[in-house]
Amino acid sequence: MGALKPVPETREDGFFATRIDALINWGRKNSLWPMPLGLSCCGIELMAMLGPKFDLARFGAEAARFSPRQCDLLVVAGTLTWKMAAAARLVYDQMPEPKWVIAMGVCSSTGGMYDSYAVVQGVDSILPVDVYVPGCPPRPDAVIDAILKLQTKIERERPLARILAGPGVSDERGTGARTYQPNDAVRKSVYDLHPHDPRARKG
Amino acid sequence: MPGTITSERVDGALAGIEHRWLVHRDGLPALELDLAGLAHALRALKERAGFESATFVTAVDRLPRVPRFELVHQLFSLAHNERVRLHTRLADGENAPSCTQLWPGAAYMERECYDMFGIRFEGHVGLKRLLMPEEFEHHPLRKDFPHQGIEPDRLYREWDKKRRAEWHPEAAR
Repeated sequence: MGALKPVPETREDGFFATRIDALINWGRKNSLWPMPLGLSCCGIELMAMLGPKFDLARFGAEAARFSPRQCDLLVVAGTLTWKMAAAARLVYDQMPEPKWVIAMGVCSSTGGMYDSYAVVQGVDSILPVDVYVPGCPPRPDAVIDAILKLQTKIERERPLARILAGPGVSDERGTGARTYQPNDAVRKSVYDLHPHDPRARKG
Repeated sequence: MPGTITSERVDGALAGIEHRWLVHRDGLPALELDLAGLAHALRALKERAGFESATFVTAVDRLPRVPRFELVHQLFSLAHNERVRLHTRLADGENAPSCTQLWPGAAYMERECYDMFGIRFEGHVGLKRLLMPEEFEHHPLRKDFPHQGIEPDRLYREWDKKRRAEWHPEAAR
């Protein structure tokens, strides 16, 4: 059970007591559905990671879908250009919440060696990133490690606090607390809601 | 290079058009032309010297030099297995003749040339940007363009602002 931590004395009767946060997080973290945004060579490593040799299915995250509507983990794998940035942001916006982002490789983390007019200098200038993976490209093990790190991050979230707090109080990640401090441009974009989001229709 | 079989054929084809042979380190026959004679020279090389293929059309920005641009055509003759390269100096704002009538495949290369250097080609039917977004304002391969760009995120920000205004008109100020 791991993070669920049932109260021991209640287990023998066929049920146990736990926190509902722990239950929700347990479900979320072990069934991440990645959206592979493979933009360059990192995409190849991403395929290797999903394949049988590295077998991401061990961590419940092998169900890659090519529709953002069915995904909750955006893996930005490769060099994001400014020409592509709008498409990447649209993909992120179309993903239902809760959603997480992994910046895979140095290009998507910082722009990498492309100190250029054409390349986004880190996808965190347009998307809120949860885990950065260094490497050019990173080995599949490194990305699996990033997913494990993301799982521990999801474990610490408080989804119930967000539901009880109501719309507009907690951030869009459902953590109930700000867990990251991106730059101004991102912080602004994080709080803007998609029109299909129920919280956008409150007024 | 002067004195070879290629140069004799090229010289014969270019009779009456002012040109000057260059010695380049890579040993490829290269010649320099005036902009005024370029269109005639390209047609003559295709029709009389048998260069039926244009390998590339590109440009070099040699900024402190006047005129700043150097237009480069490299032609290839399949029949003779020979290449020749043409260099033409060009000032900023001057139009170059398009060679798409002779080699339709050069259209993309001229578009790229326009995109990266801002050299316009007369006679090109679809001269628009090839790589950069069409609303992009600069020509990135010019030497006076900073490699980190001038407001590289401008187009994205504009798109983002417009999109957010459509979603939440009351929030857009």
